[in-house]
Amino acid sequence: MEGAVLAVPAIGFNAVYAVLRFANFAVGSIATIGAFAGWIANSTLGWPIAPSLLAAFLAAGVVGIVADEAVLRPLRSSGPLTTAIASVALAIILENAVRFGFGNDPHGFTLPLYRDWHGLGLHLGRQQAQDAAASIVAMAALFCFLAFTRAGKTMRAVADNPMLASLKGIDAVRIGRIANFVGMGLAGFGGMLIALDTQVDPLTGFRVLLSIFAAAVVGGLGSIPGAVMGAFLIGIGEEMSLLVLPATYRGAVGFLAILLILSFRPSGLLGQRAS
Amino acid sequence: MVISRRAALAAGLAVPFIRLARAADEPLRIGALCPLTGAGGQYGPSMVKVIQATADEINQAGGIGGRQIAVTVADTQTNPDAGVAGGHKLIDVDRVSAVVGTWASAVTTAVAPLCWEAKVMLFTVSGADSITKLPHHGYIIRTQPNTHLQMTRATQFLLDNKAKRVFALAAQTPFAVDSYTRITEVLKAGGGEAIGQIIYDPKQTSFRSEIDRALGEKPDTLFLNAYAPDLAILLRELFQAAYDGHRITPGYAATPKVLSSLQPELTNGLWSFAPSPDLDSPAYAAVRKILGTQNPDPYSCQVYDHVNLIALAVAKSGQATGTAIHDAVREVSQGSGQEVHSAIEGMKLLAAGTTVNYSGASGPCDFTPEGDIISCKFRFDEVEGGQPKLLSLS
Repeated sequence: MEGAVLAVPAIGFNAVYAVLRFANFAVGSIATIGAFAGWIANSTLGWPIAPSLLAAFLAAGVVGIVADEAVLRPLRSSGPLTTAIASVALAIILENAVRFGFGNDPHGFTLPLYRDWHGLGLHLGRQQAQDAAASIVAMAALFCFLAFTRAGKTMRAVADNPMLASLKGIDAVRIGRIANFVGMGLAGFGGMLIALDTQVDPLTGFRVLLSIFAAAVVGGLGSIPGAVMGAFLIGIGEEMSLLVLPATYRGAVGFLAILLILSFRPSGLLGQRAS
Repeated sequence: MVISRRAALAAGLAVPFIRLARAADEPLRIGALCPLTGAGGQYGPSMVKVIQATADEINQAGGIGGRQIAVTVADTQTNPDAGVAGGHKLIDVDRVSAVVGTWASAVTTAVAPLCWEAKVMLFTVSGADSITKLPHHGYIIRTQPNTHLQMTRATQFLLDNKAKRVFALAAQTPFAVDSYTRITEVLKAGGGEAIGQIIYDPKQTSFRSEIDRALGEKPDTLFLNAYAPDLAILLRELFQAAYDGHRITPGYAATPKVLSSLQPELTNGLWSFAPSPDLDSPAYAAVRKILGTQNPDPYSCQVYDHVNLIALAVAKSGQATGTAIHDAVREVSQGSGQEVHSAIEGMKLLAAGTTVNYSGASGPCDFTPEGDIISCKFRFDEVEGGQPKLLSLS
């Protein structure tokens, strides 16, 4: 279940990487912004969870574009490392902007509480199942967007071969904006899903940044199916690690996964590029 | 220009006096190293507000014999790395004589060596037993009761409420192991049993597996030794797992903001324990006034005491160095002197040659040679309808 929720922001991270060729570490802060947008829609405006998730997607997507235009795009010509470092600074700025606006206090969603389902010696969290279903819907919507829409196809074209796409007259800047909107929107969507199970505070997204990055690296930077696979592997790995490791080392699973993948398959499980 | 031997001699003799005059002009520099962000971010801003307001009040009353207090703020982010960076900046760049307000035990443990090596006095609100066992040479004082005292009182409360089988779910902190050791000892002595502990990584977003293992031991009480963000997750997941036994947690985790952000079904019946400020003290009233609230948190009360103790120690010794504060702090915090509740009140008496004994917003402020407080009151609450209701205060 955790892997399904983690997959959404990991897909967003990889979608941006595939088109714009840099690791956007602001994804954690953007997830936080999505969580706050969803919380405002749900708790202040009284919207149900589904439209609140849409609000989280839209708000995070818009902030993602604005932040990229203002901070990251001017630096892109300096190389992916410079842009990635700038994205770390951007993450700190966004996190503190949220803190200025909403303070450090935690906030909760207005949603019904459910007990777990029990059967066959197993139990299943209903809230977690709903979160996983929402993740699957988001992934399906992304698949449809990439497979059946003109914007999605051009995005894939730029991701596959930016030079050939440019020769075909595809506007790389416009596609970059679309990728940013979709990628950061998914981060915001995932941020709200995480907050539904935890709480909304300025560190909501930051807490899962390592897991998101680990999922993206394990699956293969730039690969959307890889992000899904990586997220599930990290999610399951973190839970299964408790069988052999003390719970305090659970957070090390992400680091370990990155170490193993970079040592033996630097391009990731489903990645093409390892530059 | 010809300088006569007499003029040169006079100038030479004047140098120490000029230095003394300058030293008196130099402000007392205090570093507020508080958790403005991170897990302790709910407390840091009000702690800083109290530190600055207390210093301002002393400055407006004429300072410490004319010497002003300058406060410099740094954010620990409730993170040892950031705490050490902030501590280095305060000590090496801002040249502070005292650091106040370190909150998380992990941060205090990391910052403490910087302080004692630079002979800077560290006043902390952290509780881990290990902190005052460090080789700090007297450069640490804390107003928070240590883990041993806190766990003794909390476990005694559990025994009074018929707890028999207690399982601890603890965030990874420097006090997690010491806490469980003390819980085990007190339960065993009282006829109960500590049946296990899981120390978890508090940065996780789910603790389902940890909870499954804990509930597998069939506890009647869970000791949730958590911070606020992970407590919220634990309470939700315990509800989902249909756990209906007792739950107890430190007061710094079950903050009013956390409780109000969760559905009452998750928090009803939750016990919390916390060292209590001295509710009848004029110093407590002063903190209330500074923060504009009827129920200031214990840490804001403690840093109010830190600034007052530092000011009184500097007034007593006549010097604004960390060593002077180290040497004089117990001369103004305890003993047979006249009881005072603020530095302004105490400095007048010191100027008149009277000895003073500061008693503050957090309690009597009497310290052992190791730097622990000797006694304080504890309060126990039970949450009802999202609000903590006082069960006992003693």
